[in-house]
Amino acid sequence: MNNMNNMNNVYSLYKCRVLRVYDLTEEEKLFLFRFEDAEIAETWTFTPGQFVQLTITGLGEVPISICSSPMRRGFFELCIKKAGRVTDKIHELQPGDVVGVRGPYGNGFPVQEFEEKDLLLIACGIGMAPLRSVFMYAIDNRWKFGNITVINSAKTGKRLLFRKELEAMRDVAEAENIRIIQTITRDPDWPGRVGRAQEHIKYANTSPENAYVCVCGPPQAYHDIFTKLIENGYNPRNIYVTLERRMKCGVGKCGHCIAGSSTFLKYICIDGPVFGYYDIISTPGLI
Amino acid sequence: MRYVKIKGDKIYEFLERLKNYGKLYAPVKISEKFYDRKEIDDVGEIAFDYQRTIMPAKKYFIPPCEEMFEIDMEENEYREKLEEVEPFVIFGMHACEIVALRILDGVYLNEYPDIYYERRRKAGIIIGLSCLPDEYCFCNLRRTDFVDIGFDLFLHELPDGYLARVGSPKGHKIVDENPDIFEEVRQKDIDAFRAFEEKRQEMFKFKGSFDNIRYILELTMQDKLWDEESEKCLGCGNCTMTCPTCRCYDVQDIPEIGGKKGKRIRFWDSCQFRSHGLVAGGHNFRETKRDRFLNRYICKNSYFYPLGTSYCVGCGNCTYFCPANIDFQENLMKIRGREVIHE
Repeated sequence: MNNMNNMNNVYSLYKCRVLRVYDLTEEEKLFLFRFEDAEIAETWTFTPGQFVQLTITGLGEVPISICSSPMRRGFFELCIKKAGRVTDKIHELQPGDVVGVRGPYGNGFPVQEFEEKDLLLIACGIGMAPLRSVFMYAIDNRWKFGNITVINSAKTGKRLLFRKELEAMRDVAEAENIRIIQTITRDPDWPGRVGRAQEHIKYANTSPENAYVCVCGPPQAYHDIFTKLIENGYNPRNIYVTLERRMKCGVGKCGHCIAGSSTFLKYICIDGPVFGYYDIISTPGLI
Repeated sequence: MRYVKIKGDKIYEFLERLKNYGKLYAPVKISEKFYDRKEIDDVGEIAFDYQRTIMPAKKYFIPPCEEMFEIDMEENEYREKLEEVEPFVIFGMHACEIVALRILDGVYLNEYPDIYYERRRKAGIIIGLSCLPDEYCFCNLRRTDFVDIGFDLFLHELPDGYLARVGSPKGHKIVDENPDIFEEVRQKDIDAFRAFEEKRQEMFKFKGSFDNIRYILELTMQDKLWDEESEKCLGCGNCTMTCPTCRCYDVQDIPEIGGKKGKRIRFWDSCQFRSHGLVAGGHNFRETKRDRFLNRYICKNSYFYPLGTSYCVGCGNCTYFCPANIDFQENLMKIRGREVIHE
């Protein structure tokens, strides 16, 4: 794919090799990739919150959020849920297999703006995937940020994304002022915290007046989370969310991710996928 | 701006000469009611008095279906498919369609330029043609009834020929290379041009400013009108296919029989189709017909920053070609204040 194509063609694909595959849950797997072209591998970078378009040869392309830290050059990770024709096939990938990738696309989280501030990350279900990129970036640049809290929630313990990874680092992290809260809504056997993500906002170690908040979850979850955040004193201006659509091009052409209303019509792929709280509340149709 | 005149008896000679600059596409009458643009052999068939074509000129820049990549399944390669684009001339584009093309430019040639579109755009020569509105036209409300840029030549009808505005270096070249076709503009031509423009302005069904429709539409998204009108809609997507600024496309990888080769194609899509708002896992951002129906009104009426106009250019195609007789302009007028239906 690389070398064969015009570099000016925004739709050109670059070959990536699967290095490792990790099982996360029954539906989600984590894939570690490296670009075949050594130069691209070493220079390619992104902002947490951006996404790539991943192609399985002959089957099609899907937009996937990057979930690793941009500080780790040469490699990137994608957490992929089995949810359709292409992603079913992605789940069959083995180390050594080759896929096509283009990107990164979209506006990521304004991580530079987050510096010197506390950081609260709230994830529901698959929402942990893009937020893990922010979290890993913050860990890699620990000295740049204040207190950090991650609230990771899911319906059941089995469906909790990155559960083991977060569990394993919990105690060490706490000593570094990083708080990890994992909560479950519908699992009687779960030994840990229960309830929806927003019910745990009060346990965060972040100071509301000095914190930035990143939220990712299903559309119906946002409203309650916003209400709780504001109740707890978080500044609405500092709340960011990342949205999902079925982007076909990733570069603001195909129109599948167009959302919003007549005064604020946006292509989620180039104007988002990260939006601020005020964008969301003033635009019907974004979530 | 440079103005020249084409004498009435030279117009067919002019069209003949245009063929020297590339394949000539122009509107022709294809049935009792419809016109379409096609490649012209005999310039005598060209229709000057057409209102609208069944396919907008976007088809020459974004074909209804095109192959983007050739897939080599064995080598895991996607090989770019860029065929040689030959120069071509589109004759007879109305002002609204030229603005529409500039809207497409804003989308397709943004910070991520689309090479397939760009190559065709560079190869195309645009010859505009003045028109008189029918009851479907509301380009005046959209402020797209007159264009300043986006064409190479723009022809304005005069009683004894055409007043041509020259809009680009390519346009100057055509004028300079064909001195026998063009002549100077005289006072009587200017008077005739002015009279034509005046007459044209008077013919529009509605007059006034229309920009506040964006806000009114946003505030009336719960209106019953949308329930009633979307009920009539067949969801066929004709409105988006005939719209000169609708540009949604879908992409698919099609393997060939044998499984060794394949194609990555893109083809026109429509927000009126159920699959348009579908995401992985089955959630649909535009679940109901009402959502999809209203989506087109929202999209078309929203502001396109680079041009300062809305995405809708007021050509009236969507209404003219709607098999369910849904009147786009009328619905906007209703929502704007004429007989607004309140809950």
